[in-house]
Amino acid sequence: MKLWNRLRYWTRWPRPDNDLAEEIRLHREMLEEQFVREGMSRPQARTAAAREFGNATAVAEKSREQWNLQWLASALKDLRFAWRLARRQPLLSAAAVLTIAFGVGANTAIVSVLETVLLNPLGLRHADRVVVARVRIDKIHMRHVQTSGVEFREIQSMTDAFSAVGAEEGRYWTSQVSGEPTRLLGQGVTPEFFRVFGVYPALGRFFAPEDRQSVVLSYRLWKSQFGGDPSAIGRTLVLDGTPYRIVGVAPADFRFPLANQVWTSLYLDPERLHRRGYNMSLWVFARLKDGVSVAQAADRVNRYMTGLNMEAEGYAGYGYGVEIDPFSDYVAGNLQRPLWLLSAGALVVLLIGCANVAGLLLTRAAGRRREIAIRISLGASRAQILRQLLIESLLLAGLGGVAGLLMAAVALRAATKLSVAGGDWITLVTLDHRMMLYGFGLALASGLLFGLAPALQLLRESSASSLTRGERRRFQDVFVTAEVAGAFVLVVVTVLLLRSLWAVESVRPGFDDAHLTTAYLMKPANDAGFFNRLRDELRAGPGIESAALTYPVPFGGGELTSTFNIRNRERRPDEPEWHGEAYIVSPEYLHTMRIPLLQGRNLEDRDTAESPLVCLVDSQVAQRFFPDQDLIGQEIGMYKGWARIVGIVGTIRGSTLEDGSRPVVYYSRAQVPFFPEVGIVVRSSVPAVGIIRQAVRRANASVPIFDIESMEDRIGESLGIRRLLAVLLSVFGSIALVLAAVGLYGVAAHVVAERTNEIGVRMALGARPGQILTQFATQGLRAGIIGLACGLAAAAWAQQWVTNMLFKVRPFDPTTFLAAAAGVMGLLLVAVWWPARRASRIDPQRALHYE
Amino acid sequence: MLVLKTLTRGSNHGYGIAQHIHRVSRDALRIGEGSLYPALQRLLINGWAEAEWGITETNRKARYYKITAAGRKQLASEARTFNFLVAAIAEVMESA
Repeated sequence: MKLWNRLRYWTRWPRPDNDLAEEIRLHREMLEEQFVREGMSRPQARTAAAREFGNATAVAEKSREQWNLQWLASALKDLRFAWRLARRQPLLSAAAVLTIAFGVGANTAIVSVLETVLLNPLGLRHADRVVVARVRIDKIHMRHVQTSGVEFREIQSMTDAFSAVGAEEGRYWTSQVSGEPTRLLGQGVTPEFFRVFGVYPALGRFFAPEDRQSVVLSYRLWKSQFGGDPSAIGRTLVLDGTPYRIVGVAPADFRFPLANQVWTSLYLDPERLHRRGYNMSLWVFARLKDGVSVAQAADRVNRYMTGLNMEAEGYAGYGYGVEIDPFSDYVAGNLQRPLWLLSAGALVVLLIGCANVAGLLLTRAAGRRREIAIRISLGASRAQILRQLLIESLLLAGLGGVAGLLMAAVALRAATKLSVAGGDWITLVTLDHRMMLYGFGLALASGLLFGLAPALQLLRESSASSLTRGERRRFQDVFVTAEVAGAFVLVVVTVLLLRSLWAVESVRPGFDDAHLTTAYLMKPANDAGFFNRLRDELRAGPGIESAALTYPVPFGGGELTSTFNIRNRERRPDEPEWHGEAYIVSPEYLHTMRIPLLQGRNLEDRDTAESPLVCLVDSQVAQRFFPDQDLIGQEIGMYKGWARIVGIVGTIRGSTLEDGSRPVVYYSRAQVPFFPEVGIVVRSSVPAVGIIRQAVRRANASVPIFDIESMEDRIGESLGIRRLLAVLLSVFGSIALVLAAVGLYGVAAHVVAERTNEIGVRMALGARPGQILTQFATQGLRAGIIGLACGLAAAAWAQQWVTNMLFKVRPFDPTTFLAAAAGVMGLLLVAVWWPARRASRIDPQRALHYE
Repeated sequence: MLVLKTLTRGSNHGYGIAQHIHRVSRDALRIGEGSLYPALQRLLINGWAEAEWGITETNRKARYYKITAAGRKQLASEARTFNFLVAAIAEVMESA
């Protein structure tokens, strides 16, 4: 109340000061009147009134003072003083500001990313109450896969745990957009889907249970295709040649999935609702009932699943279950752990920065003991001194915060242009006001953190009669120890990840990825000759070396995985089911990709729909199932029954470079028909994008083509998060290292400066420079070595967070630990070497004269 | 306390308040202008009184102070303390 009244006083305009002056003038006039009434003459009365009233200015002054926000005024005074002080030592101030700026910038940027993905996924309201239900099948090592209709029905019936349950199935169609044949991305959704996310239509309505062939437009499509015209409702949109009635438009901020353009109503026929494991293509999302936690819901589902008679459904012993996870898990996917790792790294950098700045200020504090002592003896209270010292550090922190926010803004602008597999949401990341507030608060908090220790220490030193130099040293040692430990942990984690990255990058995918351009197109309906025409068009293109059709495109984001059997071969009872990848290709595929044919023959034009089913397998199948037998002529069953193996080809890695353990089977497109999406791979000596577009248009002008990318870019995207993580952690690690070294250097240099005298005496008494050097070097290194030991322990503990990101590097890799320790140690040595050498070169004469 | 008490009789301006206290105390208490105005500012700060410009009976513009609910509460509590103190002093004086 008081504060509020005072603030109001200060913010009012015109200033209340005028009120006061006016009031006092009035008072005097009234007194004057009174005296006149009592019989004085006017001039007499005026003098009397003036005498009676006393010093009007003093009264006004005293009255005004009542309003003063004293602490604010003196805080401003302190701030000015702090600013002058900071400018007097520009180097130290700049170092402090930059250190804090980097820590704050990194933290703010990463928390902004976390916010978009994990804390408030995709900006959807109340998404923290949404969960995803995903199937796991332990026996074939499958986790987090889509469900069949049965699980959807079951979860929908659990009304005690969920208030709304919706299912979604990925869809795509060919449609005319702006006169161009285009692939539209969308989803088929059950009526309750939108209710799960708590969204309401921007226009029209969402689906009713009886809706068939109805479509809801995304806000973006509605704007671009219908110009935002409300009369779009009720019109038709042609998808794959079938008319759909437009019933509604989704709100602009409903961005899930990100690239979604349309939603259609999803009808699940009775077979899908009652055959478990049949057509597992549904993502099931549910809104938790009020008061139900994620764990409780997961437990509820789990109890139901374990109570089922899986034997009757044919899944006994499969370890078939349904997992309930927060929606943020679904959005972040594999990136969740790297993101947390980065935020931890950024926090370590900020803390090291705080310790460093605290150490710097501590050094400066030594020179200010006199000043503080004088001020205290002149009557400054300890609280005033503390406030002034804290304001000094808060000023540095505040400047650091502003600079840090700028850094974060720049970093995020760069980050949103990154292309990371599974990270398309990154375009949504923005630095909004809440994040800026967070960053600035973080800066001020770190200002308090790094300001408090030196301030308290300085106060104690100044008021104590004896100088507690040892205590200050202990403070500094603790800071250096912490810095070295933190830096070491970061270095170890970074080196582990860097080595993994190098190991992954050196993996060859098994085909020649240079000069390959890839694209997807939609298979046209009723055009039997299309693929042959397309092949001829592509072949005729200038600079095209060879071209082939395939589904899927390696590293193209999709894969055909399936269980398979081999004729006359029984699985051991304890063996997990055999699982492999399939490719449907044209005969030119091996040649275009430069995958070696090791044995047998390639797929050929004589393998047609009428001839017996044949296939190629990769050498893994040969090694695993037929180590000392001829594979050619054996039969493998994956799609469309038994297929005779006619050739063996080299092993490739088709989805990630890390994992190439799954056997691969190739079918001919003539025998196993393509799905609606078909991939093209083209090897060319010239850029092929335009040629591919033209060839497709010539072959059939109504065929949309999309997702054109070079093979190298595709592989790069699969490594994106690894590279990003390695780069960012390297930056964090280097900064932490430099900070630790600077911190150690600062302390050592300070010690030497402080003891110049003593060294001079000892030198004069006959101490050899070598002795002095060793003594100061070991003394300085002590804190560093303790820090290194702490860092070792901490790194051993912390590496558990990265074990699943390691590739061909063991967690307790001795090389990494030794190399990191040696590197850090070397840097620390350099850091103490300079001050120690300076100590050993002190001229006794000058040192003694110095006093 | 005296100023607040005066204000319970209705809003008044600084001159009026000083005059009133002067009159009621039969000239015994004379509140100096040097302490009246700072005191009034304190009342405003604490929210015990409000001020606004008005017209006096002699048709001049003056700043009128008005007691607030919080001011009445404060006055009651101060009066209690004061009465208690006076009673205590009186006892001591009588016992001697």
